[in-house]
Amino acid sequence: MVSGRTVKLVAIGAIVAGTLVAESKKEYHFTVGPKSGVSVMNPYGSISVKPSLNNTVVVNAVLHSDKVEVDNNQNGNRVDIQSHLLAGADAESGRVDYEVFVPADASVTLHSSTGTLRAEKLHGDVSLEGAGAEVDVRDVSDAHVHVKTMNGAVNLDNIKNGHVEVDSLSGEVTMRSVNGPLVQVVSTSGRINYIGDFGNSGEYRLSTHSGDIEATIPEWTSADVSARSTRGEVHDDIPLQPKNHTWFAVDKGRAFAGTMGRVAVSSTVVLRSFSGKIHLRKRPENK
Amino acid sequence: MTCVELEQSLAEQEDVGSWEQRTHLRECPACSTLVRELNLIVAAAGQLQEADEPSPRVWNSIEAALRQEGLIRPQRPFVSSFGARWGAARWLVPAAAMLLLALGIYMRRESQADHAAQQALVTSMGNQVASQSDLNDDDLMQEVAENEPAMKTQYAENLRQVNESIRDAQGLVNESPNDADARRSLMDAYHQKSMLFEMAMDRPLP
Repeated sequence: MVSGRTVKLVAIGAIVAGTLVAESKKEYHFTVGPKSGVSVMNPYGSISVKPSLNNTVVVNAVLHSDKVEVDNNQNGNRVDIQSHLLAGADAESGRVDYEVFVPADASVTLHSSTGTLRAEKLHGDVSLEGAGAEVDVRDVSDAHVHVKTMNGAVNLDNIKNGHVEVDSLSGEVTMRSVNGPLVQVVSTSGRINYIGDFGNSGEYRLSTHSGDIEATIPEWTSADVSARSTRGEVHDDIPLQPKNHTWFAVDKGRAFAGTMGRVAVSSTVVLRSFSGKIHLRKRPENK
Repeated sequence: MTCVELEQSLAEQEDVGSWEQRTHLRECPACSTLVRELNLIVAAAGQLQEADEPSPRVWNSIEAALRQEGLIRPQRPFVSSFGARWGAARWLVPAAAMLLLALGIYMRRESQADHAAQQALVTSMGNQVASQSDLNDDDLMQEVAENEPAMKTQYAENLRQVNESIRDAQGLVNESPNDADARRSLMDAYHQKSMLFEMAMDRPLP
């Protein structure tokens, strides 16, 4: 007589075996030249991009079922990868997880609705888009970094000399050690955190309609700062030299404006919220 | 023949007459659906009145505006045709384009007009875009519900928030038409809404 436990074990074994059979791995290799372009469009699943050792693009794809296939195409110096959903595919069966290695100077475009998008150690332009995708970009230099999400969290870490533009409706945006000629975040309700030094004599514009903005900077930062929350509060832990002239009314508690550090090398910092709280914090020097 | 090759061959010839094409279509439900939809579109297009077709300038303007905003990119060679892939969702393109065109006109005029003219412009544009802001929201949600039901709540909440931000920013512009911050907030709010539309329609479907 077969026990209930045995039946359960057999059933679980069958499910696991079925999963293993359905899941498959694919690997693709492409040889490209300098400044190549790599695009990965993946409706469901994660995409991680890291630098390769030479002029090759290597794509490792894990397909979670046979209801999705990977289309790949190389056109000169451009490589396009796309998850092609077949009939009946859904968020689970249509999922593909990618690990992609590209030359560090490649321009990368990643798109996923649901998975995590990661890019690291690159110095080519990076564009990441996805409604619910979480975005994680780190150790990128001398490049454009463009991010668009609906509600996925965005983390940017150690972006040097970047042209950074983030559009997020409700996801939290966190930037650590991010600087460059332009750093711009626009959000509807997401919170924006900036931890860095507003360096590079750049333009920093952080704007959210109802989210809070918190910027934590060292006291030696050189910046021309203006902060304004129409219906919310503003707090400033760092003494600013007041400006003689501002083009908006500086209502105490709702706005502040001034300069800090050396004017000659200062960046322009604009912090705006409609109903959120804005807080300019001083970073403890021992950190 | 692969799916990519089939799609490329469709661009080169009108019908699917070759043995390779027919064999692939028998084995690939996705491509057979694609071809079926293409045939439907071709049939429907024949019934359109010439007067229904906007002038090429309109399409060029929409394309230029979308491209300038970075909302469209050059077509990827292996992606199936937009019409076939998106079917009923194609209405989102003109909706987003109208939103962007209104925004673009507003921004261009803002930079060119003199101070007094700006005040009148802000008021009139505000009224114009405010009335547009309610267009197609229900349709957008219906599309999301049909194609991505798991995301419906998130889209609905974000749509609600962005509409609220547009109303707030519009209120500020009405209160202080000279306030550059307020005008920028309004533009940002519309940009966010157009992004929401873009995401809804840019989501690849089976």
